[in-house]
Amino acid sequence: MIVAERKPFDEIRQLIKGYKRVLTVGCGTCVAVCLAGGEKEVGVLNAELKLSQKTEAEPAGFGEATVQRQCDMEFLDEIQHMVGDYDAILSMACGAGIQFMAERYPDIPVLPAVNTVFIGVNKDVGWYEERCKACGNCALGVTGGICPVTMCAKSLFNGPCGGTNQQSCEINADQPCAWHMIYTRLERQGRLDNILQIFPANDWRNQKPQTLVQPGYEERKASE
Amino acid sequence: MTTKQQNQVEKIHLETTVAVIGGGYTGMAAAKTLAQNGYPVILARQENDGAWHDTSLTGLDGLKTLENQVADNGPIDILSQSTLIEAVGVPGDFTLTFMSEDRRVEKKAGAVVVATDLSSSPLTFIYGLTPCASVVSLSELESLLASETGQKEIGDKKKTIAFLVGFAHEGNPLLMQRVLESVRKIVEMDGCTAYVYVNNLKVAEDGLERLYKQGRDNGAIYFKLQTAPTVIQNNGDLRITFYDPVIRNNIELSPDIVVVEESLVADQQNISLAEILRIDLGPAGFLQKENVHRLPVNTNREGIFVVGGGREIQGLSKSLADVDNMLLQVRQLIGGGEKTVAAKAVVDREKCTICLTCYRCCPHAAIYWDDKAVISPAACQGCGICASECPMDAIQLTDFTDTEMTSRIREAAAAETKAAAPKIIAFCCQNSAFEAGTAAGLFHYDLPAGLQIIKIPCAGKVDINYILNALVEGADGVIVMACHTGNCKSESGNTYAKWRINDAYRKLEQIGIPKNRLEFATLASNMASDFARIVIDMEKRISQK
Ligand code: SF4
Ligand code: SF4
Ligand code: SF4
Ligand code: SF4
Repeated sequence: MIVAERKPFDEIRQLIKGYKRVLTVGCGTCVAVCLAGGEKEVGVLNAELKLSQKTEAEPAGFGEATVQRQCDMEFLDEIQHMVGDYDAILSMACGAGIQFMAERYPDIPVLPAVNTVFIGVNKDVGWYEERCKACGNCALGVTGGICPVTMCAKSLFNGPCGGTNQQSCEINADQPCAWHMIYTRLERQGRLDNILQIFPANDWRNQKPQTLVQPGYEERKASE
Repeated sequence: MTTKQQNQVEKIHLETTVAVIGGGYTGMAAAKTLAQNGYPVILARQENDGAWHDTSLTGLDGLKTLENQVADNGPIDILSQSTLIEAVGVPGDFTLTFMSEDRRVEKKAGAVVVATDLSSSPLTFIYGLTPCASVVSLSELESLLASETGQKEIGDKKKTIAFLVGFAHEGNPLLMQRVLESVRKIVEMDGCTAYVYVNNLKVAEDGLERLYKQGRDNGAIYFKLQTAPTVIQNNGDLRITFYDPVIRNNIELSPDIVVVEESLVADQQNISLAEILRIDLGPAGFLQKENVHRLPVNTNREGIFVVGGGREIQGLSKSLADVDNMLLQVRQLIGGGEKTVAAKAVVDREKCTICLTCYRCCPHAAIYWDDKAVISPAACQGCGICASECPMDAIQLTDFTDTEMTSRIREAAAAETKAAAPKIIAFCCQNSAFEAGTAAGLFHYDLPAGLQIIKIPCAGKVDINYILNALVEGADGVIVMACHTGNCKSESGNTYAKWRINDAYRKLEQIGIPKNRLEFATLASNMASDFARIVIDMEKRISQK
């Protein structure tokens, strides 16, 4: 899941400065699950904004809506009837959702209310940990299910650097060395010979905006 | 984006079989009682169940007799050498998986009764002694006194027996009771002598004082000492010495047997049972937290009960009372296997994004999921914690919907008051502060003119949105009042409320609103004057601005 966190209130306040009618839009999927931008958070943010406007001579008005996913046009269409009444949209979706919203409604400013932080897992209510950097060339099959790109501070693909220190990473004693973890996991599974496999340099040129078409849908895309 | 209002009343079927975990004395008594009252029973036993039991009580069926009665009772399905490894489901419909004699066995049960025993560990080593025929633990002495050969051995040889009590640990009334019972039995044997070296005589419990006197009248001798006497063990030869400050001399005695106290502790198994059954583990490994709202045998989960030594250090008579209480609870829950329940909380399946927040937060483990979150009406206690935590506002309490609460808040903030009186909205838990507030009114305590009380089922229902919106709607002050720490009927409703208040403080600070307009307080239902003080204080504080 994509994990995000609410932007500091002051920053949001700055972002919406000058707009008289703001529509806050939540997303009912990833950011709802990580408790940053679902229907509840929309209500909370709007209450905060209303409170902060109390001292203004002409307080701004705030509306709210939450769609299933802001990264799907069909769901974005659902708020079309409301958008005309506002002069800015405050989106609580991840960066992708915000951009898609901006693309769908190009005539008014779409502003971010959250910071998109990472792709991660849910450890407990409100507690998330990063697990994948979407490098585009997944190594997990060889590395015992532990990501060297995310878990290694230097994103090394071929074993630890010289800083590996009794299970810890050199950046911090509390940070486990990814390659130590990989070694232990592979050993446990009797797959230690994997460790000798050399990865060619990752094609970081891939780190440009990407498009993915699932193989079964290529023809569908071509026909558009 | 409207919320469906559902006032669901459902007829549900409940499995009538009850699973009893633990095959010691209490577990067997529970199984027998349930079977006699028409509930089919699964009795999960382990090899050494019944190894410890309080043999000091007389007039009860012996363990063996009970064992036979249990074996003879038709509807008791005994799973021997079994350990619970998995439990899923809701009251009336639990599925339990046991490893029994190395096989996986799956059983259905409507309710679960945990009846683990206490376990005792000898404290001989703390006194620097080595166990042998003349240095025995309290349990060993009890078994001797319970057997004919043991009685002969002690009685015929007119033995002198010394007890060491209360120097190795705090001790407790049950331990004291067992010592006193054994002492009584010994001094009743012709020619036998009992010396008791004791630190702190704990005879507070019913009947102990009498038992103590009975022993003393029959010749038992008590030495109350600040520190343990010196015991010298030379093979079978024993010498006990202590300094008597009154006669200013050492007193030395040579008993035939030294009986060393033991400590009673919770069964190790409780830890894994708590995890598997998702019930709270209390202090010292017992399966209950101290909570004034909790009935004697209830856990935080409906349908899972704990009796006897599983919940506290207690003797057999108390454990048997637990068994009777448990039967009442089982009857109330399962009855004849069918009942009508009104849902206290419902999930709007269209809104639910199955984030599992509610499942993880519910203190009563009342939530499970299919493709969306589902709340078991039989298990839900209506605390509202889930509703306040749900990031999609997908859960509504039938008696306290968000729509109703929002209009309550709006009305409260708009209520007419005397010109300058600040408006204070107090969200009060119905189990404590709401009663205190009502009483404060009835007793004519001074209360702020602008005070509006909003009743909530539990502080856990106070959504951060309610707090912020009360201020948005025009309240000058907001107070959230919960039960005292450890006293929340839903265990953690007050904790969640506190966390949300702290979150709200952070938000108010960022917005630039004085934090003193919001307060969190804990109260008991009989604290009317404290209620009045808290609200008056807030009125003073916010009037000063
Ligand atoms: S917009 Fe972002 S947060 Fe919302 S569903 Fe799509 S990826 Fe997840
Ligand atoms: S290697 Fe790591 S960063 Fe790359 S796709 Fe796999 S998990 Fe994600
Ligand atoms: S907290 Fe709400 S959204 Fe999450 S699973 Fe429960 S009902 Fe669904
Ligand atoms: S209202 Fe309370 S008891 Fe009922 S499901 Fe929600 S959290 Fe659990």
